[in-house]
Amino acid sequence: MALIEKLERRFMRLGLLPRLIKALPRLSVICALIGVTWLALILPMEGQYRRTYISENALMPSQAYSYFRETEWNILRGYRGQIDELRDLETQTRNEIVASWLQEFGTKTAVYRDEVDGDTLYGLQHAARGDGTEAMVLAAPWVNVDGQFNVGGVSLAISLLRFFSRWPVWSKNIVIVISDNAHTSLRSWVEAYHTSLDLTGGSIEAAVVLDYPETNDFFRYVEIFYSGLNGELPNLDLVNIAVHVTEHEGMKVALNGVSENQIGDDDSFSGRLRTLAGSITQLAYAGAQKCYGHEAFSGWRIQAITLRARGTDGPFDITTFGRIPEAVFRSVNNLLEKFHQSFFFYLLLAPRLFVSIGSYLPAAILLSVSFMLSSLDNLLNNKYASTSLLSAYNTGAFLVFAVVLFFSFLVSQVLLHFPSTPVPITASILASLLLGAAKHGLSAPLAYRFRSLAFLYFGLILTSLLVVNFALAFGISLLALPMTFVKNESDFKRRLKNFILLILSNPFIAVCLVTDLISPDLSGSQALERLIFGWTRMGSWTWFVVCLGWLPAWLLVALSTSPASIPPSKTTTEDKKNA
Amino acid sequence: MQLILAIFWVFLAAYKSQAEEIQSSLLTVETSNSSDIDGAVVDAHVNKNNLIGSLQYFQGNEKILYPFNEELTIRPLPRNFLLTSFLFQLESNEVTKPELDSEFNSYKHYTVFPKALSPILDRTQTRQLHLRFTHGLWDAEEWGQLPRQGYTSGGNGVEMWAVIEAPDQKAAFQQWISLANSLSGLFCSSLNFIGSEKTTYPVFSFLPESQIEPFFDVSNGLFLIRAALANEPICTENLTPFLKLLPTKGKSGISSLLDGHKVFDSQWHSMSIDIESKCDEFSCKYEMNEQIEMVFHLPNTLSRADRPIPKPLASDELRCDESKPHDDYQCFPLPESRNLKFDLSKLFGKSISGTNLVSETPSRICAVVAPNWNVLIRVGDTFFSTSDNCFDISDNNFQDMVFETDDTSQIIPLEPAPFFASRSLTGYSQDAGGMRTVIKNPTNDTINIFYFESLPWFLRLYLSSLKLESDSGLLLRDVIQDTFYSPAVDRQRPSHLEFNLSIPANTSIALSFEFDKVLLKYAEYPPDANHGFEIESAVLSVMSPMKYTVRTATSLLPLSTPDFSMPYNVIILTSTVMGLVFGTIFNLMVKKLVPLEELEKQQRTNLLTALKLRIAGLLQRRPRPSKSTQSTKELQ
Repeated sequence: MALIEKLERRFMRLGLLPRLIKALPRLSVICALIGVTWLALILPMEGQYRRTYISENALMPSQAYSYFRETEWNILRGYRGQIDELRDLETQTRNEIVASWLQEFGTKTAVYRDEVDGDTLYGLQHAARGDGTEAMVLAAPWVNVDGQFNVGGVSLAISLLRFFSRWPVWSKNIVIVISDNAHTSLRSWVEAYHTSLDLTGGSIEAAVVLDYPETNDFFRYVEIFYSGLNGELPNLDLVNIAVHVTEHEGMKVALNGVSENQIGDDDSFSGRLRTLAGSITQLAYAGAQKCYGHEAFSGWRIQAITLRARGTDGPFDITTFGRIPEAVFRSVNNLLEKFHQSFFFYLLLAPRLFVSIGSYLPAAILLSVSFMLSSLDNLLNNKYASTSLLSAYNTGAFLVFAVVLFFSFLVSQVLLHFPSTPVPITASILASLLLGAAKHGLSAPLAYRFRSLAFLYFGLILTSLLVVNFALAFGISLLALPMTFVKNESDFKRRLKNFILLILSNPFIAVCLVTDLISPDLSGSQALERLIFGWTRMGSWTWFVVCLGWLPAWLLVALSTSPASIPPSKTTTEDKKNA
Repeated sequence: MQLILAIFWVFLAAYKSQAEEIQSSLLTVETSNSSDIDGAVVDAHVNKNNLIGSLQYFQGNEKILYPFNEELTIRPLPRNFLLTSFLFQLESNEVTKPELDSEFNSYKHYTVFPKALSPILDRTQTRQLHLRFTHGLWDAEEWGQLPRQGYTSGGNGVEMWAVIEAPDQKAAFQQWISLANSLSGLFCSSLNFIGSEKTTYPVFSFLPESQIEPFFDVSNGLFLIRAALANEPICTENLTPFLKLLPTKGKSGISSLLDGHKVFDSQWHSMSIDIESKCDEFSCKYEMNEQIEMVFHLPNTLSRADRPIPKPLASDELRCDESKPHDDYQCFPLPESRNLKFDLSKLFGKSISGTNLVSETPSRICAVVAPNWNVLIRVGDTFFSTSDNCFDISDNNFQDMVFETDDTSQIIPLEPAPFFASRSLTGYSQDAGGMRTVIKNPTNDTINIFYFESLPWFLRLYLSSLKLESDSGLLLRDVIQDTFYSPAVDRQRPSHLEFNLSIPANTSIALSFEFDKVLLKYAEYPPDANHGFEIESAVLSVMSPMKYTVRTATSLLPLSTPDFSMPYNVIILTSTVMGLVFGTIFNLMVKKLVPLEELEKQQRTNLLTALKLRIAGLLQRRPRPSKSTQSTKELQ
């Protein structure tokens, strides 16, 4: 008798398998708990994260002296004074005037006309004797994310381009983009650049969006935003360069909208946790919340960041801010290859601290495992476990699942055309109320199958999403977790509990509630409209993940709460005995 | 024969004496007449060395005319740009048909024609050879037509086409590869990477201008073959061979201006060589045109000589727009100054060291400038000017040119380009993409354009996806008159696409097609430092009403590139996991769990083992475990 048989006998004697199966609900909860703890408590702990470093040696940030200073300041202010006067003009007139300035120093300009999103002026400066196959983008929307007139940003972009035109070092073309706003018009330009524009300058390697509102000369600190759509992040090297350059010039860096008094909290656990949470929410909400500009470049392998000057007084001068894009461009210009050395999947805990995918991924994996375990629990932990795979219950459950999936698709499409937040929320509440209060409902085995299938599907969705868009996968799995506690009982207390769990885990309600709680610039009442906006105008998939991933699972669980009737079954009890 | 020998000797001697005379000023050449130069040189040679008295016999009877001509044209372009074109024209001696019996004893004279090239051309039976080394962007909207109707400028990188005489295409291809390999070393470029997967046989484009016929063997055919290496870097090491091919070797004449630091610090530069063989009934000779052209941005290039780093200007040098607010704090910059005064030597970092000394014509420099430009040539401290701004350099002194104007925007009107073309990559995904070419005809005539595209095989082209966008509602069949398409064969042949397009007056069209990107074999990816795969430029040429050729920019195609360290990680990880799993399962399946008593019982039955154990026990003087021990022992 081999050792393996011995072990198996011991296993059987102790009855581990039934015990494990019995413990499935508990295991599922434990998995979810570890997952959350991992992210929230362990990662920000000393020793769990790493310091950032420039991985690609060619980049050499701040190795060349930055010359955007001295009389460049006078020129910048000269442009700024003129741009300030354009404030009240039509975009078209503004663009014509600025285009004439750009042409003075040899920039090829063109206007991309978009009647819906607004015109975008862009200019191309060819690298001398360059091959013209690669480009770097310097973008400055006329109006910034907060609706302020981006005087500083636009004048910086123009004077920087003028400054760049004198340098013989460029190996990549430089594209200046002045769009109407930081979100849709910029996005629509980027799309047009890759489909229909006549004046193009090769593939865009990196983009820097400048945001320096109004005409104040000084600012206090620099904010860097980098979270792209659909979980895309710029290569960590680009963020590192920007942070490195900014701190090299003596400025303080805030990531993801951390407030000024919290800058430099790298030493405290809470400071790191706050920035980490900020990274995750920014990433999860990218496209739906307000767009800083770099989101528009997501896709096409473009690495993009937004630089914002914050505060109206302070020790730093506007040309100091201009030296950041200068040094970043000098660095990117050095690249012989595409950005590929450093991480594409990371979470930042501080400007110079990060965790890579290997460290943070287990959190989301554990959460999706928790759903898988719940699915198993609903499959095995009941007296209908032994019905054959092709029984009417199973096939029925699959059929209903297909119908539910189709229904969810319909819902997503209808809402795309008629965006509304209250309608789906009231419909969800009504549905869970009606289903919970109904006199006659599903047969019990079907209810179990429904839930099992729902959790299996949701778990699969999470698993496939978690590498690509960790923040979204983690977020929705956390929000949908209450679904797993739904049980079939007929007493009133239990039903009430089911109802509350369903309401909490409903995709529409949960998204709105959480948005209201954690997102500073979005109110819950418009969360769904923003998600729809994210898809239709920016190309963020979050709406479809919610509607096609989460909603079908929730609907199945909701259906399963209707009071169970025990089916007149003959075989099940016998089978149970045999087992 | 004696005559030829003598001429050759004279040539050699003339050469030697030139070098000497520059240093020791033994001889002053003051005359502007070329024949006199030759005479003087011969005289000098004879006087000095007193070698072959018989040479006197030829002098006066026959002029020694070397077929070499050089000319520098300087032409200001709008917005302070300046085009400088160097043209060198050479001719070879007669090329005789290689006849087998006489070949062994035959000898060749090269005079001014580069000795490096001639044998290669003979051996590979090349009747025409065209080489292009170009980098940068020619701004056709501002600068008008490319120099020489675009005939001498290639796409970014290196381009080469040739007419080769061979019995069949296979033999022609062999000759072509041999030609490319020979030229690769000569021109320090990667021409040896030209293989069948880059080679095309153009059908509409690149056709020779004049009718040529087989020369070496009447039964042979002529094959037009072309290849391009997109974005091949071009630098000093490519310029040096260009200068070495000249009889002046960059030491005298206008070629003495050419310096790698300056040539390659230009906005756009192009170096080209065209060799054509011209035949009459009995013999042939090679005619070679070598051109080096570049565009400078004058303010940038000149200020670089003074301030290598373009630091911010001092505050008193700022030029502010007076019509807008300007004070110590702000300054709206004026456009670039139109006042300009510069020396040619500052532009090139060198002066011209005299005339070329070998040719029948003196080196010539022409400035094509508007009347408000002042162009002077300076010899020593003396300035000269001419009415047509063309100067023949006839003496051996260092010369410089001075340009001066109060308005650089006034230029001799440029020939506008008959059409504009640009091409860009489209598409989002890693596995597919598209290409879009915009062609604009601003003229009032319908023009016929030959569109030539050679795409690498890893770009799987779908001709069915060919689309035409046009504002005037044109259809594909209205525009495309004729198509030639030879689909790619993996690793063997590129996609070769040629259209004959007819584009109506004042119309802009956009041709686009889609393609799939192929996954390469791992060894086919370039080593680490690459930013994508180069796609050579499309070539568009119009034949009537005028001749003009233009090339689009090259493109960079990102192919999905695997992370090459990944397989290594995966192999290590899977091996470890496999090892662990195998070890555990193997042990579990093979090992047994046996109580000690049972073990002993078994051993007693086997006497020999029991004996062994006892001896071992005695030797170690270890008490035997008692029978009541519950410990277990694993036995394999």
